[in-house]
Amino acid sequence: MSVLEATHQIEETTIRPGRSLGQDAVRRLARDPMAVGCFAIIVLYAVIAVLAGFWWPDFQTSINYELRNQPPSWAHWFGTDVFGRDVFAKTMLGAKVSMTVGFMANAIAVPLGLMLGVLAGYYGKRIDDLVVWFYNTLASIPGIILLIAIKFAFQNVVLFRDTAFAIDLTGIHGLYVALGIMSWIGTCRLVRAETLKIKNLDYVTAARAAGAGHLRIMFRHIVPNLMHLAIINFTIGFVGAISAEVILSFLGLGVDVGTPSWGTMINAARMDLVVGRWWEVIAACGAMFLIVLALNIFGDRLRDALDPQLRI
Amino acid sequence: MGPYIVRRLTQAVFTVGGVLLITFLLFRVVAGDIAAAHLGPRATAQQRAEWMQKYGYDKPLIVNLNEPRAFWDAQLVHYFSRTLTFQNRSLITNDMLIQTVIERAPYSLAITVPAMALGWALAMVISTIVAYYRASLIDHVGVFLAVLGMCVPYLAFIIGGQWLMFQIKPTMAYGLANPLNIFVPVGIAVIAGLGYSVRFYRTVILDEANRDYVRTARAKGVPLPGVMFKHILRNCMLPILTNLILAIPFLIMGSLLLETFFGVPGLGDLLLSSINNRDEPIVSGLTFLTALIYVLGNLATDVSYALFDPRVQLS
Repeated sequence: MSVLEATHQIEETTIRPGRSLGQDAVRRLARDPMAVGCFAIIVLYAVIAVLAGFWWPDFQTSINYELRNQPPSWAHWFGTDVFGRDVFAKTMLGAKVSMTVGFMANAIAVPLGLMLGVLAGYYGKRIDDLVVWFYNTLASIPGIILLIAIKFAFQNVVLFRDTAFAIDLTGIHGLYVALGIMSWIGTCRLVRAETLKIKNLDYVTAARAAGAGHLRIMFRHIVPNLMHLAIINFTIGFVGAISAEVILSFLGLGVDVGTPSWGTMINAARMDLVVGRWWEVIAACGAMFLIVLALNIFGDRLRDALDPQLRI
Repeated sequence: MGPYIVRRLTQAVFTVGGVLLITFLLFRVVAGDIAAAHLGPRATAQQRAEWMQKYGYDKPLIVNLNEPRAFWDAQLVHYFSRTLTFQNRSLITNDMLIQTVIERAPYSLAITVPAMALGWALAMVISTIVAYYRASLIDHVGVFLAVLGMCVPYLAFIIGGQWLMFQIKPTMAYGLANPLNIFVPVGIAVIAGLGYSVRFYRTVILDEANRDYVRTARAKGVPLPGVMFKHILRNCMLPILTNLILAIPFLIMGSLLLETFFGVPGLGDLLLSSINNRDEPIVSGLTFLTALIYVLGNLATDVSYALFDPRVQLS
């Protein structure tokens, strides 16, 4: 075998097609049984959230006073509530509310934070001052108090009244907006700091030298390099949104009266433990515990896989 | 150092102004019809107009264009001056907010000060032990329990704690008939916050433990406990103290939920009952007050860093 042939052979065996950072992260996560398990739980909750409304469409009217406050049995796995309705169905419908709120709040907050963070970091000067002032101001009102204040202000407020797009901010829509308004700050801070670093890198200078405009540099060259921050914050923001929804609904400032949610379940049953009716509280708290645990662990693993140096 | 402190002060002034603006927008511009909430749905138009006039809700929002000489006579100016001088009066009892705050704050502090002190001490001890035995069984079990504790809903801690107390000693489960009852919510607050704190402090300690100067100290033969207490823990205090100071507004507000559950007449209880009564001046005043305390606490931290830590001055 000649030397030339040997080098060819080595090249063929050692050079593989490259993997992108994203593919690499997915591979790392897929090898980690804990991450896979947690991801499966999250997917399960998402599927429940989508299907629960179709499976139990007439839950709210399924009142049966003969079955009120039944302990768990084969017919009603989690027992029945004070109106004789199935607590299992109620818990699943609560998952629907929580997952929707978590998703919608982050669907507002993460793009908002990404956008403002990139603008502030890239343009600097006055725009940066304005954005930093804005998030510092919002961040100086403690989260739960700001949320309560926003929901207080939203009572009986309807956006686009008398049009086809009327949005009643009293109930769950107000929750999306309130959580969206206040949870973009973390994403914005990280994105801004990262943009400040990236904008001076050689490849950005090269893009500018090649004649790329500001918008093109920001959205084609900088934002794709920040997507991992968006993904991580989306997962971590989910936990905060779910916890906030439960507390607000518990206080009567969350979903509309009568909508089954974990917060309203806990509120309805808060005095039940004393008289020995444990199933409704346990069902709501257990359901919440499981999804928060899965999201926390998965969020950690995701962060390690995507950006080992980042600490939030 | 002078210019840094001046810059921080101006920043704080702008932040407080921003908080005023945001609360004004929320409570006066966005908020729905407050007269209807107080007079009931069957009030006549005249009753509503009178009510609005009595409490100043009928004035123009930002500029009074009807009166060129008194263009400032608008809700914005009244709101700002009223809130900044703490002159908010309840729509229901007509009590001055600041008076109510002085009466109720001790109850909130009675829960949160011991809770923070105990929680900090306990978390510090546990996280030091866990970090000391890092990567061993103690560490794994500790982190596992901390994560579990973090994920249990706060409401579950409260409801469970109250139920447990009810089983042990029913008289201690509600109210303040016996002053010792205050330690039930304190205990719950400590346990509920422990998971998060232990995990956070452990991360901070291990971050510090991986630094070069720690390796040098160990290489020159400082025994492990000496490294831990003399080198690592001292340097960890900065991030941990910052974290503690950021929790100060909650110190004042008390634990919102704990106070309602255990019948403690503190500020959190005041906020929640004012929300239910649609008592706008109290809600907006309390929101502003907590933000103000947060801004001042933050300012004090930054200034004291600048005074004590020579590295901070230039940044």
